[in-house]
Amino acid sequence: MRSSFLVCYDICDDKRLRQVFKTLRGWGDHLQYSVFECQLTPADLITLRGQLKAIIHQDEDQVLFINLGPSEGRGDRVIEALGQPYCRMDSPCLIV
Amino acid sequence: MIRISDIQSADELLPARMLNEFVYCPRLFYLEHVDGLFAHNSDTLEGAARHSRVDAKSDALPTAQEAVQCESIHARSVTLSSEQYGLIAKLDLIEAEGDLATPVDYKRGAPKSLDDGSLGAWDPDRIQLCVQALVLRENGYRCDEGILFYWATRQRVRITIDDALVAETLAIVAAARRLMDARQIPAPLVNSPKCPRCSLVSICLPDETSHCRAYVACEQSEQTQPGGRWVQPLLFDVGYPAANSESIESAPVRQLITSRDERRPLYLNTQGNHVGISAQVLKIKEKDKLIQEVRLNDLCQVNIFGNIQLTTQAIGALMTADIPVVYFSYGGWFHGMTQSVGLKNILWRREQFRQADSNRFCLQLAKQLVKGKIRNQRTLLMRNHVEPPEQALQFLKALTIEVRRAESLAELLGVEGLAARVYFEHFNGMIKVGSDDDRPRQQNGKHEFRFDFERRNRRPPRDPINALLSLGYSLLAKDLTIAATSVGLDPFLGFYHQPRFGRPALALDLMEPFRPLIVDSAVLSAINQRMVTISDFVVVGDAVALTANGRKGFFRAYEQRMDQLVTHPLFGYRVSYRRLLEVQTRLLARQLMGEILEYPVFETR
Repeated sequence: MRSSFLVCYDICDDKRLRQVFKTLRGWGDHLQYSVFECQLTPADLITLRGQLKAIIHQDEDQVLFINLGPSEGRGDRVIEALGQPYCRMDSPCLIV
Repeated sequence: MIRISDIQSADELLPARMLNEFVYCPRLFYLEHVDGLFAHNSDTLEGAARHSRVDAKSDALPTAQEAVQCESIHARSVTLSSEQYGLIAKLDLIEAEGDLATPVDYKRGAPKSLDDGSLGAWDPDRIQLCVQALVLRENGYRCDEGILFYWATRQRVRITIDDALVAETLAIVAAARRLMDARQIPAPLVNSPKCPRCSLVSICLPDETSHCRAYVACEQSEQTQPGGRWVQPLLFDVGYPAANSESIESAPVRQLITSRDERRPLYLNTQGNHVGISAQVLKIKEKDKLIQEVRLNDLCQVNIFGNIQLTTQAIGALMTADIPVVYFSYGGWFHGMTQSVGLKNILWRREQFRQADSNRFCLQLAKQLVKGKIRNQRTLLMRNHVEPPEQALQFLKALTIEVRRAESLAELLGVEGLAARVYFEHFNGMIKVGSDDDRPRQQNGKHEFRFDFERRNRRPPRDPINALLSLGYSLLAKDLTIAATSVGLDPFLGFYHQPRFGRPALALDLMEPFRPLIVDSAVLSAINQRMVTISDFVVVGDAVALTANGRKGFFRAYEQRMDQLVTHPLFGYRVSYRRLLEVQTRLLARQLMGEILEYPVFETR
């Protein structure tokens, strides 16, 4: 069962910032500067945490995980957008 | 003849970690150690993450003679073995003073609290620690106690390595070896609280396996009752038999598997696209212009239709992530697939090949599959036909009884063909697009299309509905080929469909009962909900094909059906059709390994 997470980060060094960005791109959608929305299973969360832990410096940087609850059936309820629209892709498959 | 078991048990060292599993659950030990299966869940991943620090570098442990001269030694991640007992252990940490060594083992969870409130160790951990002590002793060290360090509470538990514990451990080693030699998987634990957190639960299917065993057992005992009421040997239409059902009622099937696998399939359909990869994200480009990015983490399979290029790097990353790539011709013909090295559980495949040689087994399984298919066809007619044709329904019902009497595969094939004819004769009655809103369209002045179905034709399909059905069966064959491969069976050796070059016979076997439920139903909703319209078809030679756009619509209809939750008639829980295909394939593996007697074909209610 996946849950939605907002992952926000504040990284002091450019090189680490890029590494964190690159890692998170593999896990979720880039919503804003330094904010990703990821759908993660408990196992995914542990793997992602491990990957980020290996990059950041514990005493300078910070990554926050904000749990928005189970992905399924959440719809767009918990996120409201002003200005640019927020939309969530939710289809059973991807077709290009 | 050389038996695998002869080679394996002769001089193979038994890892301490596996003995831990054996004490936890002998079946888990068997699946991991004998069948070589493994899966991660959040608990094992967290354990692995903790250990990655401990295991970051492994130290060399000085020999016991050298150690006597040293003051104290801290050695991390040391692997030692014992020839005498045939054991091997990886020790997280060894603290030694002279030649007196103490193994320290790191555990992810919390210690056990004993009745008197003091802390204790869990049985599997105690045994594992004792193995480590035995291995240390054989390497010349003295070892009187060991320490278990539990991460969750950061507490240490000391264990004295006394004769009683050594005797207990050696008895377990002997039992584990006996199990390896016996080549018979132990029965699942019954209603055990250990199962929900076990990482192999979706492979082991403990409750489902027990349920199928109990069910068939009680069915057989009723049938053989002299003078007793004869119960139809149909798995799903008899409901729960009343008399002998205690064992079933006392252990309801818990839903231990997730109802959906949230990873999605990717369909690449636009000719000339180019797919590369950068840091776990697939980049799909059309003439150097990036049109979409897809995370590997989101995918369970990649389907390629026609001329689409994948870079070697992209294929490599897909294989590493264990995502199969499936190739189709532009017209939807299933060519084959690329997959990672995959499962090594050769023992299951050996059993599959053995059983495929048994006519009795093939016929028994084929009967189940055909019966399931006919019953599902009947259900689909009942549910979707404008005016369910009473006579045809009766006839299909009669044919399921005919199936039971069949004495050869050829006879069965005849019954199946008859059922298919009757079913497809009435297929048109399930299509509900009025002729007003889908007026036949002139194409090049000579072809007229309408959703009008007379009979099934293929190679090539000659009308729109047959084109959809053919594409749908092709997709389903693909999904079951993937399911069979991921379970560890050979998709090319079937039981009902006889082997032929390049034919995924096992996938075709398994898909029989699902044809009406998944494909036919997806075709009906694609048409009835206008996801595909009459303008989505073109004529190519004497064949009717879908346009790129029409195909997109049908993929969506098919995947919507695959994503739909359905109640399993036997286990009572809800899973998506995609998950169901995997569960059913695993149950077939269970039958091949002799654990359950009858394959429980999926029939919808």
